[in-house]
Amino acid sequence: MTDPNAKGHNAPCSNRDFDFFYRGLEEGKLLVQKCTGCGQLRGLPSPGCGHCGSLDWEPVALSGEGEIYSYVTHYHPPLPGFAVPHPMAVVAMDEGVRLLGAMDGADPAHLSIGQRVKTQFVRRDAVAAFRFQNV
Amino acid sequence: MTSISNKTAIAGYGATEFSKNSGRSELRLAVEATLGALADAGIEPAEVDGMSTFTMDNNSEQEIFRAIGGRDLTFFSRIPQGGGGTLGPVQQAAMAITTGIANVVVVYRAMNERSEYRFGQPMHSLPPTSDNVVFAYHGFAGLMTPAAMMGMMMRRYMHESGATSLDFANYAVLARKHASTNPKAFFYGKPITVEEHQASRMIADPLHLLDCCQESDGGVALVIVSAERARDLRQKPVYIRAAAMGSPKGTVSLGGFYKDNILPFDECAAAARQLYAQSGMSPLDLDAAILYDHFGPSVFPGLEAYGFCAKGEAKDFVKDGNLEIGGKLPINMHGGQLGEAYIHGMNGVAEAVRQLRRTAANQVPNVRNMLVTAGSGLPTTAAILGVD
Repeated sequence: MTDPNAKGHNAPCSNRDFDFFYRGLEEGKLLVQKCTGCGQLRGLPSPGCGHCGSLDWEPVALSGEGEIYSYVTHYHPPLPGFAVPHPMAVVAMDEGVRLLGAMDGADPAHLSIGQRVKTQFVRRDAVAAFRFQNV
Repeated sequence: MTSISNKTAIAGYGATEFSKNSGRSELRLAVEATLGALADAGIEPAEVDGMSTFTMDNNSEQEIFRAIGGRDLTFFSRIPQGGGGTLGPVQQAAMAITTGIANVVVVYRAMNERSEYRFGQPMHSLPPTSDNVVFAYHGFAGLMTPAAMMGMMMRRYMHESGATSLDFANYAVLARKHASTNPKAFFYGKPITVEEHQASRMIADPLHLLDCCQESDGGVALVIVSAERARDLRQKPVYIRAAAMGSPKGTVSLGGFYKDNILPFDECAAAARQLYAQSGMSPLDLDAAILYDHFGPSVFPGLEAYGFCAKGEAKDFVKDGNLEIGGKLPINMHGGQLGEAYIHGMNGVAEAVRQLRRTAANQVPNVRNMLVTAGSGLPTTAAILGVD
């Protein structure tokens, strides 16, 4: 990336609050925000900390491991970029935040709440991405 | 604090037919519904001075106003949150009239949400607005449809409550039973069985096709005036006893997966708390309800959040027949959005008006006070309507 204004990733819809997450995937890292003010981690990106109000934060990499908190399998209608049926899960990461991830490659019949998962980094066309896999 | 409770009333309602292809423009639907509501109330279009709708509605206030022969529009407002916002425009009308900002407010929603576009399709999240970057972050995993988003919440609900798809079937069968005897319902004359629900194809497991609302074309409008004015008009006034919005900490539009409780519950409980405080009523004072069923299973946590049964007990409350006409809390007598049509919940508000006037196809005897709710799993709205 020579253009200093380039986003550094190819995710189709992002802004300057979310760019760090997609850039992290380009580097094979699953990043979340850590509040500089109170140390709280937040999964879903936001410019501000809901606990202490600080706008300062740093990206930290997760281990990529956690357990399924809930899951769903998409059947219909067809999804752009994914074959159906397409399983997905909200995962309680070991560090204490939740993340939503694709679980393509897993058998939808073998998903359950509490199931341990790990992270696999993948590319979807030009976009760096990740998915969870059953451990 | 100035209260809006019982200061205003729904004096008229109008609706087009509900279909899969209206054959006319959305604006035409909005105008037909508006003129119908005004005629029902016995109010001339020239008296309308306020209009309120959903931000998602494609029909501008001034174009409707131009078509109906409006004279002097002084109040217009829109409420976001899609189907979560259903009772928002009603609350806007109640506040505007109570504070003297407007006198005759038309609330409307009209759409060709089947023949011209469909909400059930994967979302396209551009440009990068604050909501779209969240939808895109979830879409990145393949979570792109309302059915899958609600399915994620309902799977957790099943885990916590022990409810199963068979329990959800009980609601779908009830909605279609009500629709089957409502001539205005798309599924008039077409009841279903539990077995048909279970055999219907998966849309977003755990949600079957027959758990999902329809995609529909149609329009609905309401005319809201002061309670005093309503008493002089031709219809029995349907008083707005309370109207509230709920979006507590951690709420995300169809993606609140990061707060303690990911069920479509907290926002409903927040609205409920305000409704009962505003009206001085309790769930025991409500004779019937319109519970928003974008997806039938959301009715279960809804029953719990609005206080009709304890957390986790909705499956038994439904199984025991309490939602039937003659039960403790009849709901969605028009057939709900599973059975009648999906007009972002506005057809449910119209059904509440019919019930309270005692003119409904599937009439609840002696109904005096009703809860009407909006979409859950996102910021929501609700109201209590009643008659003397």
